[in-house]
Amino acid sequence: MAESYRRSQWSNGLFILPYLSVFIVLLVFPLFWGAWLSLHKVDLFGPGRFVGLGNYARVLADPVFLQALRNSIVFVLVSVPSLVVLGLFLALALNKTTRTTSFLRGLFFSSSVLSVTIVTLIWRFVFIPGDGLLAVISEQFGVQPVNFLSTSGWSLFSVGVATVWWCIGLPMMLFLAALQQIPNDLYEAAALDNASPWRVLKRVTLPSIARTIMLVTIIQIVMQFQLFGQAQLMTNGGPNGTSRPLVMYIYEVGFVRWDVGKAAAASEFLFLIILVAAMAQYVVSSRKSEASE
Amino acid sequence: MRRFLLSTAALIALTCATSAHAQTKIELQRFFGACDADYGKVTDVSKAVGECGIITSLVNKFEADNPDIDVNVTTVEWPGYDQLNAQLASGAAPDVVSMHYSAISDYQSRGLIDPVDDVLSAQGISPDSFTDAGRGGVTKEGQMFGLPFDNWTMLFHVNLNLMKQAGLVNADGTPILPKSADELFAQGKQFKEKTGKPYLIQIAANETASYARILYTLLQQQNADFFADPTKITLNTPEAKNAVELMKKIKDEGLSTLGLDYAAAVTAFTNGDGGIAVNGTWLIGDFVAQSEKDGTPLAKGYTVYPVPQLYPGRDSTYADGHSWVLPHKDRTPEQTQAIGKLFKFLADNDYEWARTGHLPAVKAVFDKAEFKALPHRENIAEIAETGRSLPGAVQRQFAIQDIIGEEVGAAVNGDKSIDEALGSAESRINDLLANI
Repeated sequence: MAESYRRSQWSNGLFILPYLSVFIVLLVFPLFWGAWLSLHKVDLFGPGRFVGLGNYARVLADPVFLQALRNSIVFVLVSVPSLVVLGLFLALALNKTTRTTSFLRGLFFSSSVLSVTIVTLIWRFVFIPGDGLLAVISEQFGVQPVNFLSTSGWSLFSVGVATVWWCIGLPMMLFLAALQQIPNDLYEAAALDNASPWRVLKRVTLPSIARTIMLVTIIQIVMQFQLFGQAQLMTNGGPNGTSRPLVMYIYEVGFVRWDVGKAAAASEFLFLIILVAAMAQYVVSSRKSEASE
Repeated sequence: MRRFLLSTAALIALTCATSAHAQTKIELQRFFGACDADYGKVTDVSKAVGECGIITSLVNKFEADNPDIDVNVTTVEWPGYDQLNAQLASGAAPDVVSMHYSAISDYQSRGLIDPVDDVLSAQGISPDSFTDAGRGGVTKEGQMFGLPFDNWTMLFHVNLNLMKQAGLVNADGTPILPKSADELFAQGKQFKEKTGKPYLIQIAANETASYARILYTLLQQQNADFFADPTKITLNTPEAKNAVELMKKIKDEGLSTLGLDYAAAVTAFTNGDGGIAVNGTWLIGDFVAQSEKDGTPLAKGYTVYPVPQLYPGRDSTYADGHSWVLPHKDRTPEQTQAIGKLFKFLADNDYEWARTGHLPAVKAVFDKAEFKALPHRENIAEIAETGRSLPGAVQRQFAIQDIIGEEVGAAVNGDKSIDEALGSAESRINDLLANI
């Protein structure tokens, strides 16, 4: 160890330089720049003036920010469990190697490759009143159609449905990969013990993929807190701001109102939330590995 | 072989050099939609219909007439200011950009766009050749900051076939339109009873600028001076309450379509799903084209009028307009000259643009026989007198429009009380304006 340490040279660091420089320019620098901006009254086009924590106070006193924060939390609380449960269900159902399951895996994953514009366009056709799919179906049954995109509550729900449909591919694939790692001996032993399928799921499958479930949950929490495109394109945050997520609030304040300092302060709150989620993953995973050692 | 390679390379270099010399490139960024599939190669502007078709073929024609100029068009999602802001912030702004009069003060006050007076005078275009509304829209601190292109307002686009069914047509074939709020509700009810369809088709989902435009119109009609101080809005007034109450009552009495976004509202009108579409001047050309097709719900049954005067104060409609501005950047004299030629071409062809339904910004167009012969223009000619914009010094008008759209929408849908919505709109807008 000591020998190899002595032989190591600074020039070896050059190998990580390409990655490091991109990392610093695209992540570290903006991180600190964002924090610096949040302390200034500044627009997009020139230097600002130092206002201390004034922007943070303005953000916290803004009912629209608090509403957007609440919307984002509700969205994460509903969409993440849906993605985990549905992803797991699909993975369990498709964890066989037949032609049909291969086709279905591809089919369920296919929505993930679409761009957000296409996804929202498809779901607009479903939700829009008048000629929309759901409106036509409800009229067939003589039911008054719901204005999904312009009714409080339903608008965020509609964005959630489009998001789950769009994002389901990744959780499903991660779960499939985890399921295929489970040694077959465990299932053979369970079969010898005459365990019911439910018991096998509870005692063998789920414990074996517990860390993947945690991984998928954390990834999805981080991703869904960054909800933007679907809400922007489907509902524009409306009605009455009930489907405006945090990132859209930041975007509006920064780019439409040119209040970049305030937008940066709001971004710092979002950063904090995502940091907590990432830390939670770190703590949980390190505790798990300690327990297993 | 070597000689062959060398001569080929020299030939390529020479071709590049001559083409670089031959063509001056202008980056033009605009909204108005993309329609290259239909109009990508069309240079006969008279064949084009609608905003997108006409502007696309106008640019094609300009390029065909000026082979030494290459106009590279980038189409952005309406209104495109977020992209423009990002481009300006990163020093990558295009040469020419479409901009609403209402947005010019934001960019002019920050020195982000250049005056166009010299560009226009070099082409012999006199500021007097534009209408007062057009010139006023682009003039800040005594200088013109854009080429005025049109004026627009919201209008009542009428489906005469359904109005006939509802018994709301005069003997001379013109529609019976309301002259007061009470008449609006009475006629709306009559329409609904006779046709089973909503009287109005309104844009109520996603982009809600229409709520703001109607509120401005109804406030103006009551002589409310809600922007007496351009840095402060006053909305906690009886006039604002009256206006929002009217808008809410239209919804509560089932006189309007619900939950339609812009595209769905346009389709609903052409499908004959309601009597009157409350939408902009830009759709006249498209709707006229629809009405000339047999077998469509609008066949031989389309007309258009300004939003009626519903309050006794004065006849007024909120108006804005489109212009072409020059983001602040270094340009070669050739580029400036090419832009001047483009501006001259657009001003000379303002009649073609007026076929969309917009009111021309070039005075001479009003006197053209072809313009006078365009369908329905006499119905809406009064807009030249009654159209009013917000005071030119009001900044962030698009952000204000978003806030009003959201809050008034909430009041109309019953998510908030009217007082609460107006109070919230006022404080949000004043916070925005106080922090510029």
